[in-house]
Amino acid sequence: MIDSFWQALTFTAGYNTTLVTLGSAMLGASAGMIGSFIVLRKRSLVSDAVSHATLPGLVLAFIILALLTGDGRWLPGLLIGAAASAAIGLWGVQAISSRTRLGEDAAIGAVLSTLFGLGVVLITVVQALNVKGQSGIDSYLVGATAGMLASEAQLIGISALVVLIVVFMFRRQFLLVCFDRQYAYTRGINADHIDMMMLLLLLTVTVIGLKVTGLILIVALTIIPPVTGRFWTDRPSRLIAIAALCGALSGYIGAAASSSASGLPTGPLIVLTAFLLFSIGLLFSPRRGMVAMLLAQHRFRRRVHLRQGLLSLARDEAIYDDLTLKVLRRHGYIRRDGVATPPGRVAARDAEHEEHLWSLYRQLYPDEAAQLDHQGLDPIEESLPPDMVSSLENRLPSPARSAR
Amino acid sequence: MKPFNASQHAADSSPLAITGLTISYGQKPVVFSVDCHVPAGSLTAIVGPNGAGKSTLLKAALGIAPRLSGDIRVYGQPYRSQAHRLAYVPQRSSVDWDFPTTVLEVVLMGLFHTMRWWQLTRRHHRNKAMECLTRVGMDAFAERQIGQLSGGQQQRVFLARALAQEADLTILDEPFAGVDAATEKAIIEVLKSLKREGKTLLCVHHDLSTVREYFDHVLLLNIRRIAMGPVDDVFTAENLQQTYGGRLNTIQLERIATPDSSTSQV
Repeated sequence: MIDSFWQALTFTAGYNTTLVTLGSAMLGASAGMIGSFIVLRKRSLVSDAVSHATLPGLVLAFIILALLTGDGRWLPGLLIGAAASAAIGLWGVQAISSRTRLGEDAAIGAVLSTLFGLGVVLITVVQALNVKGQSGIDSYLVGATAGMLASEAQLIGISALVVLIVVFMFRRQFLLVCFDRQYAYTRGINADHIDMMMLLLLLTVTVIGLKVTGLILIVALTIIPPVTGRFWTDRPSRLIAIAALCGALSGYIGAAASSSASGLPTGPLIVLTAFLLFSIGLLFSPRRGMVAMLLAQHRFRRRVHLRQGLLSLARDEAIYDDLTLKVLRRHGYIRRDGVATPPGRVAARDAEHEEHLWSLYRQLYPDEAAQLDHQGLDPIEESLPPDMVSSLENRLPSPARSAR
Repeated sequence: MKPFNASQHAADSSPLAITGLTISYGQKPVVFSVDCHVPAGSLTAIVGPNGAGKSTLLKAALGIAPRLSGDIRVYGQPYRSQAHRLAYVPQRSSVDWDFPTTVLEVVLMGLFHTMRWWQLTRRHHRNKAMECLTRVGMDAFAERQIGQLSGGQQQRVFLARALAQEADLTILDEPFAGVDAATEKAIIEVLKSLKREGKTLLCVHHDLSTVREYFDHVLLLNIRRIAMGPVDDVFTAENLQQTYGGRLNTIQLERIATPDSSTSQV
């Protein structure tokens, strides 16, 4: 099983598998890219509505194809059906949220569940029909790339590539509309058209992804990659690039893994891969990752304890807090029995001097002091301009000054 | 359409000519039948009490707010065809400051019209954006995420983006609202230098005490147009009384409307 997974990853598992893996990677890239704009536009939920709304159209197309040709499994026909009902769903959401007092989220909830319910009812109709491939319809729920035809993989890959190119062409307009609709309008951009275009591209990705991830899970492929990108960068262009890369990797690894054993559903594997990449960012991103934040919190806590300990030393107060004692000992400021060492006494005097300066500053310039972050813990020379520090020095009352 | 008259000629060349503009939300007019011709090369303030329709008037001029009636021309043409000659500095509250974008990237948005879709952002675009940032004193903050700036700094970034557009007419919505004194000074310096370059500026303003110092033309607005013209002619106690009704007392009026006292105050 590991062998065949490796073969799929290195494109040596045969022509079909290679096409499927490449097609999935391309799908992942375009889903990540258009998904970035959908997330930036704060419309992640719309993605969910679109994907669920594909079901009735898909099943209806299957029924029609089955009645006409005896076999309902013609992918292009099914995708057209799915696209049609997704478009109806989108229109429904738009109509409800613009013409009634309901918000977009409520409209999405109503439309999504109704259309999905309709689709499930239609599936039972299909099961009652006596036609070929009726069990294949389930594969559109969670995705199955096993046994995918080469022509199908090509269709998916090429459509995804087209979406990718269109998103690239319109990236600046999309970005402006996501950032500030009204400003975009003053730049001669019709924000409504651009919004519509983003939704259409999302719809396209959803529909072509049906066979790969299934309709329930495609939403993960449009949302998880951009959210992953957010951990690593503050720039929109990089966010989109990272999202595309994560999407492509997820599609590629997930499809390869699913081909390594029969019966492994593709969609869940792709989503799990995407989640794996997401958790790497969540944990290890240098600025927003949990590890970095915990470390920063830990360091901050120690600094607070160090400062409090030094102030207690300067004022000859007893220290009872274990962490404070530990931090002071670690710095060599106190001996094991808790008596201050010579460097400890110097550090304590400096700390108290700083404290005097800060409290004088807070007293003289309350407004400015309130705007500073972490006031009083950073060395005052690094936080305030030098002329300010020296003027504070001069205004310190004499006993505090002579302490230095 | 209004009949042809003498003011029609002025409308042809004016950077922004508004005639008979009415905007309403529901059945309540927020701007009623306002005429306003912004003179070319002027630094014009729109002044009026809260709810007077100042921002709405701007938004209608930009085509953002739908209008019920009236005509808006930018350099004698319909707005849509002249969008490239016009820059808009929105209120700070109009964007999500958590948006993943840096200061430099926001200013680069002002240059999008110079980039074709197949081009990536080039070094000369970045240099140009940095120049604009330097002009507003924000070059040291280029790599910051925009949410990490203070209110005044955010306003300066918006101004830098408008500078990058190199527009002939710049429209600013309360640029001095909630900014620190240093930023206010920096912004007005930039606006005055733009004016010296022959650009036209139109600005919603709410601090009556600085109108005389900052602007050369003023539109007094309270749903209807009260008066419009050079500050010295129009910014009088009588007109202000009409604009603000009882909201200003006599002493305030005297102080604001007399040229000498307002300049000595600053």
